[in-house]
Amino acid sequence: MLKFENVTFTYKESHEPIFKEMSLRAERGSFVSIIGASGSGKTTIFRLLNGLEQPDAGMITVDGTPISELSHYASYMPQQDLLFPWLTVEKNVMLPMTVQKLPKAECKKKALEMLERVGLSEWAGHYPKELSGGMRQRASFARTLCAGSDLLLLDEPFSALDSITRISLQEWLLKQWSELNKTVLFITHDVEEAIFLSQRILVLTGHPVTGLREFTVPLPKARNRDMLLQPDIAQLKEELIALLRSEAKE
Amino acid sequence: MIRPISGKNKAMQEAADLRPGTERAGDRITGRKRTVLSTGFILALIVLWQLISMLIGKSFILPSPIAVLESLWENRVEIFTVHFPATLKVVVYGGVLSVVLGAAFAVLMDWNELIERALYPILTLTQTIPVMCIAPAFVLWFGYTVKMRVIVVILVNFFTVTVNLYDGFASTNPNRQELLQTYGASRWQIFTLLRMPTALPYFFTALKVAVPWSVVGAAVAEWLGAPDGLGTYSRACMMNLDAAGLLAPLIVLTAFALILNLILNLIEGVSGGRFF
Repeated sequence: MLKFENVTFTYKESHEPIFKEMSLRAERGSFVSIIGASGSGKTTIFRLLNGLEQPDAGMITVDGTPISELSHYASYMPQQDLLFPWLTVEKNVMLPMTVQKLPKAECKKKALEMLERVGLSEWAGHYPKELSGGMRQRASFARTLCAGSDLLLLDEPFSALDSITRISLQEWLLKQWSELNKTVLFITHDVEEAIFLSQRILVLTGHPVTGLREFTVPLPKARNRDMLLQPDIAQLKEELIALLRSEAKE
Repeated sequence: MIRPISGKNKAMQEAADLRPGTERAGDRITGRKRTVLSTGFILALIVLWQLISMLIGKSFILPSPIAVLESLWENRVEIFTVHFPATLKVVVYGGVLSVVLGAAFAVLMDWNELIERALYPILTLTQTIPVMCIAPAFVLWFGYTVKMRVIVVILVNFFTVTVNLYDGFASTNPNRQELLQTYGASRWQIFTLLRMPTALPYFFTALKVAVPWSVVGAAVAEWLGAPDGLGTYSRACMMNLDAAGLLAPLIVLTAFALILNLILNLIEGVSGGRFF
């Protein structure tokens, strides 16, 4: 289980903390979305989790162990695919394992396995510029899986895609999650995307953020887009939008 | 500690990301058209040169291109067996050493901010002194030796390599760097997996400038005084008011620089320029 316990964090350039004694949790195997107004600190949560920033106070733990004592506990998928243009798709996917200095044959085998999973095995030898936006995101997801941890941090991975590709990738991601049994922390701006994908939605509230408003999505794990039309889901959507609007005004 | 990523670097990266790969095919003159255009322009210049020299009618002031070629042919044995090998030696030694030295400075400056702050002003200072002014001092210190000529070539060249390569390192996409950090990459891994490949197009740009300048630097050093070399030959012809002989080595030097650049373009194509 992932836990933020009373985390306070201030950026060096700022005098005001962005989080003040903020706590959150994500159970093993769950899909949790984080939404919030622009600049509310969604990405900062991931930066703290990745160790790119250090909290001023408080504790971040994975399965009870502080992340400072762990390595390779989380796999991060950024908003842009950030594929390296000079590497083939296969070598891009191998990158986290290359960094971990795993044997080359093992890296290659796992990379091909992951490319097979995301439907890009035929593209292994191609360069990223030959791939469409959706394919690049899938390659990026395969690379994230190759980092080998059970906790996936997905930072608005579909925000730069057109709506049709985004919808198909959301459905694809849901399928991947149900098959892989990974814990997913998903940042998004899109309320409907959060509802469709998640079991729980956390909304960043307050300036600085002191807590997260938690909403449980009343949908089964196996779901489809028609379920978004249910009255309780429509009500949840309205509630979330109203909360985000009030946060944005503050 | 990994060096922080500045806003300037982000902007440079955006510019770098928009470099060759994002160009539309329609925006560029096609390869064949370009070759025809540039060849045509060069031929026109040669014809103009021929006409002007015929108009002046004094070969010791402006020899015609035909006279220059004739001089080159007549003295081919001396030029290609004595002077060209001597210049080639200086170009190769000086060129290679200036690239190695320039790259080493760039890597050091990229690796450590303190080194960058200490080194950059000194390196800039070396470029504010005209080579023609400082080179006689090298003659005093090292005599009319190959060493002196190589030092002139290095002085002419290394800064281009340093500045270009350093800018290349600085153009590294900060988000890619952070992604590698999330994988637990060491500083060395970030350098080899990301910063070096990012800087590769900048390195080739530097080489494309450095290669012809190595040739120029060698010729300049030979003009200052050397027992052999195309610059020395040129100078001797000048003393004899043999303008055609003076210009003949220039054809060799130009062709030599062009061939070296062609080889560089081929290497660039093979080694990675096509991925960007």
